[in-house]
Amino acid sequence: MKRHQKWVLAGAMILILVLAAAQGRRVRHLRESEAFYRWMLAAAVNERLFQDESGQFKDKELFDRCNAGSQSLAGLAPAVAAPNEPAKDAAPANGEVSQIGQASQEYKNDPRIWALAQSSELADVRASFLKMARTRQLRFAQDIQYAEAEQSGVGLFNLFFGFRKVAANFIWIQVDRYWHQGENYRMIALMKTCTALDPHFVEAYLIGSWHLAYNVTAKMMDTPWPQRKWESRYGACVGEKEKYYYVAINFLKDGIRNNPRNYKLYFDLGFAVYKQKLKDYQNAVKYLSEAIRQPHDRWVPRQLFICQELNGQYAEALAGWEDYSRRFAETQTGQEVAPRFIKRNQGHLLEQQSEQAFAASAAASDPAEKERFRQEGLKLRGQAKDIYTVLGSTEGDGLRMRIEATELAEQKRYMEAVALLDKARWESAELWDDLSHRIMRYKAEGNLPISLSEQKEMEREKDAGLCEGIPQQERQRVLERNAKRL
Amino acid sequence: MGAFIDFFRGPWYIAVYTYREGIRKKTLIGFLILSLLVIFGASFISSYLDPTSETDIDLKLIKDICVATISIFGVLITIFISASVVPGEIENKVIYTILSKPVRRIQYLLGKFIGAQLIIIVNLLLMGVLFFAALYMRQGILPTLLLWSMLLTYFEFLIISAFTFAVSCASTSAVVPTIIGLFIYITGNLTEFLKDVQNRAGQSGKWFDDAIGWIANALYQVLPNLQNFSLKTQIINGQPNDPPTDVLIPNLMAYGTLYAVFGFLLAWVIFWRKEM
Repeated sequence: MKRHQKWVLAGAMILILVLAAAQGRRVRHLRESEAFYRWMLAAAVNERLFQDESGQFKDKELFDRCNAGSQSLAGLAPAVAAPNEPAKDAAPANGEVSQIGQASQEYKNDPRIWALAQSSELADVRASFLKMARTRQLRFAQDIQYAEAEQSGVGLFNLFFGFRKVAANFIWIQVDRYWHQGENYRMIALMKTCTALDPHFVEAYLIGSWHLAYNVTAKMMDTPWPQRKWESRYGACVGEKEKYYYVAINFLKDGIRNNPRNYKLYFDLGFAVYKQKLKDYQNAVKYLSEAIRQPHDRWVPRQLFICQELNGQYAEALAGWEDYSRRFAETQTGQEVAPRFIKRNQGHLLEQQSEQAFAASAAASDPAEKERFRQEGLKLRGQAKDIYTVLGSTEGDGLRMRIEATELAEQKRYMEAVALLDKARWESAELWDDLSHRIMRYKAEGNLPISLSEQKEMEREKDAGLCEGIPQQERQRVLERNAKRL
Repeated sequence: MGAFIDFFRGPWYIAVYTYREGIRKKTLIGFLILSLLVIFGASFISSYLDPTSETDIDLKLIKDICVATISIFGVLITIFISASVVPGEIENKVIYTILSKPVRRIQYLLGKFIGAQLIIIVNLLLMGVLFFAALYMRQGILPTLLLWSMLLTYFEFLIISAFTFAVSCASTSAVVPTIIGLFIYITGNLTEFLKDVQNRAGQSGKWFDDAIGWIANALYQVLPNLQNFSLKTQIINGQPNDPPTDVLIPNLMAYGTLYAVFGFLLAWVIFWRKEM
């Protein structure tokens, strides 16, 4: 090789090394931005859905700085659907959700949030993020691979040379073994280790929360309200059994923060825990609404519409079912199930509107207007009755008889109303609780004798939702709700 | 164009010959059979789990175990092949016959390197196809994300292969380059440690301490970081259309290619100076 060739070769090597180092810097920037982006999504989900206080961590402070610098997201944020009334853990009003928080609601905005995360617009905040993550000041960055590697250099992250997911899998096999041996407490600790090793182990969150909310509590009795205690970290009255529900909820919330684009986690939180276990339909609607914003399976919206109906959001449920039957007209669900739900919700909606008309009639001072509202109420009620008759099922019959009982009660024919409701509740078991409460109410209104079990139930209902240590404001809210129900 | 084709004709013949020779090596076949057995065996891992639970957990177990298996056995195959293609020919004196022909050293080296890459790619494809089939049989849909994971795995191997190849050019036996190849793999995964050294350096205020920090930072900037390729395990269980992943994949491919070119040039420099 000639002398000038040596120089060319040396020059080429230096050039390639410089280019490789520059590309390394670019990859490093992208990986840091990726960690920052995932933290931003986690913080945005937390702000929008959970509002979990960071405590000694500085996530909120840093997230506020992100929002202050996120000018490029202006005009991108969709409106947040406001729930009927604010629940303990429901989303804040639209104005309280930050720009990134709102933009993160739609997964279609992810490329824009990613562009923001890697832009020079947030360079200072990104640098602060890496520094804070390294010094363990950020709660939601702890499970992000790069941030974790940055924290301690050689740690858990490097120990497995990137194979820690495999380690998490083998730990999960042990969790499964503990479950079959009934060693729940050992199982919970290992489940958390498992998700610490692999925060994207969605199945671990799903099955873990299912174990906690269903299997562990399967043989436990519901704790009577007077024996429960107020737990401020859960914002609820809990006993031994109910604690497991909230551990499951927190476990799923961790999963959602780490995997905000996986609908299964929102679905399990909304349906499996809030709807099925806690009968908290408002929060069920909240999380199921989030589930359908992510790429999801066809059956997910159906559960949302059912929960909307249970939560009294008949118009939304009706619109949802109508849209569903249009989109999936060729399926069995679209042809057979959806029309039934559409009719039922139409009936509920008419019934609700008739009640509003009767309330307006009662409030009106002008006799003509009073009568007009009353006629309107009667007309709507008649239409609801017709729909329930067409519905044909045992539930349809039960709902129709409920309206007829209401009409009888309005005519002060309480004995007949109670007899009709008693017949209805035996025919349509799904309305049992509702009809039984109506029976008690009419018996009270009509001064009819109340059975011992009904008296006990009424006493229990008075205490429902109250427990030791409950804050005054919450106590007042529960008492008002109980009075309204009774 | 004719000169260009003529230049690459020689390396191509050498590459094909290297491939034919390398693919018959018993050690390599042993690694391959072991990896295929593990990938096949991963399909039965669900027998350890609750058979009544209808979840995708067994799918995840298969994915993670197969990716890890491909990485471990793939790295062993890569190191073994890259470390042995040149020293093997020096040991059995074949190199002298080849170099006495009108073949330039760069052509010989290029042929050997391409031959080694062919062996690595074919092995990776064999493992990948079995993994692909195992996933397809479970899921019923084509696991396209697996293709991206395999591609990233190859680019990781390309870096390891290029540097091991460079070391092998300085050696007369395959043992030392194999050990150094393993060392490259381990240290390549611990490059983040240099960042940690830099962060901790300079606390005493002495020039020596500062210098350590400076050197650590310089090495951190220059040395390849194989942890970047851990994205391959993230992709396989992740969601499609993840914006950071879409950007990172082409960048990692460019990153792997540049370091591989540097490794090859280093091999050329070493081989060119070698007395033969």
